Amino acid sequence: MAAIFNLNHPAHTVHWHFFTMSVSNLIVIILMLIVFALAIAIPFPRHGGAEGGTTS
Amino acid sequence: MSAVKGSNWTVKVREKAVGALPPDKLLPDGVPAYVSSWIYVFGVLSIAALVVIIGSGTILALKGPGWWHFTGVGHFFNSIHMWSVEVFFFVMVVHLWGKFWMASWRGGRTRVWVTGAITFLVAVPCALTGYVSQQNFDAQWISTQAKDAMNAVGIGSFFNLTNFGQMYSWHIYLLPLAVVALVGAHVLLVRTHGVVPPFELPTDKSTAPATNGQTDVREVAEITPAEIKTSTTQGAQS
Repeated sequence: MAAIFNLNHPAHTVHWHFFTMSVSNLIVIILMLIVFALAIAIPFPRHGGAEGGTTS
Repeated sequence: MSAVKGSNWTVKVREKAVGALPPDKLLPDGVPAYVSSWIYVFGVLSIAALVVIIGSGTILALKGPGWWHFTGVGHFFNSIHMWSVEVFFFVMVVHLWGKFWMASWRGGRTRVWVTGAITFLVAVPCALTGYVSQQNFDAQWISTQAKDAMNAVGIGSFFNLTNFGQMYSWHIYLLPLAVVALVGAHVLLVRTHGVVPPFELPTDKSTAPATNGQTDVREVAEITPAEIKTSTTQGAQS
């Protein structure tokens, strides 16, 4: 990762009133929220030949 | 077997175990139709990540810090171990959110929910003790910073983050043992009670599952052949 991102500096943080969090942690939380939303929104693949039900 | 029935504790344990979890429930050949959603996949993804964690951690423990710090292959397995923990918590949190919003404690599944929640709570110190088990300056820095938190809550005398041997024991033996045992209990409870069904949709009461969180309790005669066909998917998602 160090070859891709410059990690030779103190961590960036987000401050908003009492809220303080590192940018890396914030990115992970946002990614989890996106994956959670996609897991609900994206239809699960079905096998061929299903009739009338939600899966087979 | 019947001759010793009632007098042999192994028979009693076996009969109780088989009664609570018959083989066809322990290792089913199908899952309910409502499980065909990506949100139901994150439980088994958590288990898959845990398997990688245990496997890579076992290799690291066998090879030692000189290997994981100073060889290319050691670096690789060190990274596999760290990133599999990241994946484990990532998918476990999504699993937790999914089960929370579908109220997965319904239908007598309180123990399923509680074992899952305790697993999450135990997994956190299991992972954090890994930071102080690295055997490098990073571990020393983290241990001297984090010990203040332990002292502040009054447990620093018997959970000493600057004691490497103690932290290493917690990290590679005691806490993983607890996590694996809890996950095992969690999975067996899911098998016993079944995967929690989604909430009933008010517009489609004829085909929706039961409202009290029980798996499909309709009479067999009420279930159409098409539903039977489509409610037996291969695999075992949880």
